[in-house]
Amino acid sequence: MINLHNVSKSFSEFRAVQSVSLSIGEKEIHGIIGASGAGKSTLLRLMNLLEIPDTGEVEVNGRLLTRLNGKELREERKSIGMIFQHFNLVANKTIYENVAVSLKLAKYPRKKRRERVLECLQFVGLASYADKYPAQLSGGQKQRVAIARALANNPQLLLCDEPTSSLDPNTTAEILGVLRDVNRTFGVTIVIVSHEMDVIKSICNRVTVLADGKLYETLTIEPKGIRIIDGDPESFVKQLTEDGELNNA
Amino acid sequence: MPEVLVHYQMEIWQSISETFIMVGVAILAAVIIGLPVGTLLFLCRKGQLFENSIVFSSINLVVNVIRSFPFLLLVVFLIPFTRLVIGTAIGTAAATVPLSIIAIAHYSRLVEQSLLDVPRGVLEAAVSMGASVREIIFKFLFVEARSGLVLGLTTSIISFISYSTIMGVVGGGGIGDFAIRYGYQQFKTDLMMYMILIMVILVQFIQFTGTTVARLIDKR
Repeated sequence: MINLHNVSKSFSEFRAVQSVSLSIGEKEIHGIIGASGAGKSTLLRLMNLLEIPDTGEVEVNGRLLTRLNGKELREERKSIGMIFQHFNLVANKTIYENVAVSLKLAKYPRKKRRERVLECLQFVGLASYADKYPAQLSGGQKQRVAIARALANNPQLLLCDEPTSSLDPNTTAEILGVLRDVNRTFGVTIVIVSHEMDVIKSICNRVTVLADGKLYETLTIEPKGIRIIDGDPESFVKQLTEDGELNNA
Repeated sequence: MPEVLVHYQMEIWQSISETFIMVGVAILAAVIIGLPVGTLLFLCRKGQLFENSIVFSSINLVVNVIRSFPFLLLVVFLIPFTRLVIGTAIGTAAATVPLSIIAIAHYSRLVEQSLLDVPRGVLEAAVSMGASVREIIFKFLFVEARSGLVLGLTTSIISFISYSTIMGVVGGGGIGDFAIRYGYQQFKTDLMMYMILIMVILVQFIQFTGTTVARLIDKR
């Protein structure tokens, strides 16, 4: 699905990604983890050329993105979905319009748009929010809208840049559930960048560890499932005492 | 109705219409030229989509130079240019030229500032969805910045009214010129006060409308 050949990217003096080669297979949920500043986000952003590599080649879905002209690249990007830590919805557009805009950009037939938008909102469980504005939604709901927007054009690849890093643990579990469903239902390849080990361990089946802009190791793991944390106060007490260090006196 | 107003009502209506013409043309210039110039200024800034320091510095310099002129001197300085464009440097039509120039410089700067308030991430999302520059501007940038653009235009319009009051120097007329010639210079202080009152009401109305519209279209 994705092949990076020796890609490097520097920002003035800082070498964010240094000669990384990586292959990500179809229908994988591929995690990228590393300390902050390790180049995780930059590596992800190289996959749809939001960052243009200084050297090296980026191949997605059999096409060498690094060899395309502007118009061809824009076309390719329409089949690569992306979601962000801060959702990046258009605050002055309704939920419906936020999803519809990606269809408009892709020249999706006008008559079928409405149906497709509602279908996508249905999938993320927000069909009844179509006429609301992002400001009226919670963080988790905004991320669901962003997922609906990214899925609207039936992409084969979904890039997720710290998708749960500004969400609480419950909502994180929900969003991870949605991402796993996207992968299972539509066979979409997913790449997730996260600094949270739990997130990576819960749904990824292959993981790349980055350190100082270099690929440290890529390994195959067994996803250990999403841990649902309930909001029950007793569960908080239990978690607090789990390590047996609570002194009740 | 006070007698002095009744007596001068023809002249007053005339001067109001002159002000409307001058300010109206300035608004058109601000929207038709100032908006694109301000957008270009934003897009060419460091770190933005069209990053281009030569284009940015040139436009930036021109805008700053125009805005640093005391307006009265700009009007005088532009007389040859006005004569070239309009055929005369005297009258209401001629007065619209320097007003439009300052309008473009003034509004483009406010446009640039409003666009800077749009979160970078939104534009990045647009790029990731394969939007062209044109689509990014019209479907994302302007949509997200719209209330700032309206507030900026409101501020600009009020400045244009203020600038228009000195167009009497080139025979442009207008409420301000009328207030000076008939009110101040002929010692009709009451007439001058009435003219000031008209301008206060006008400015209040414009500010109220601008603020209301900006609030209604802001869903952030």
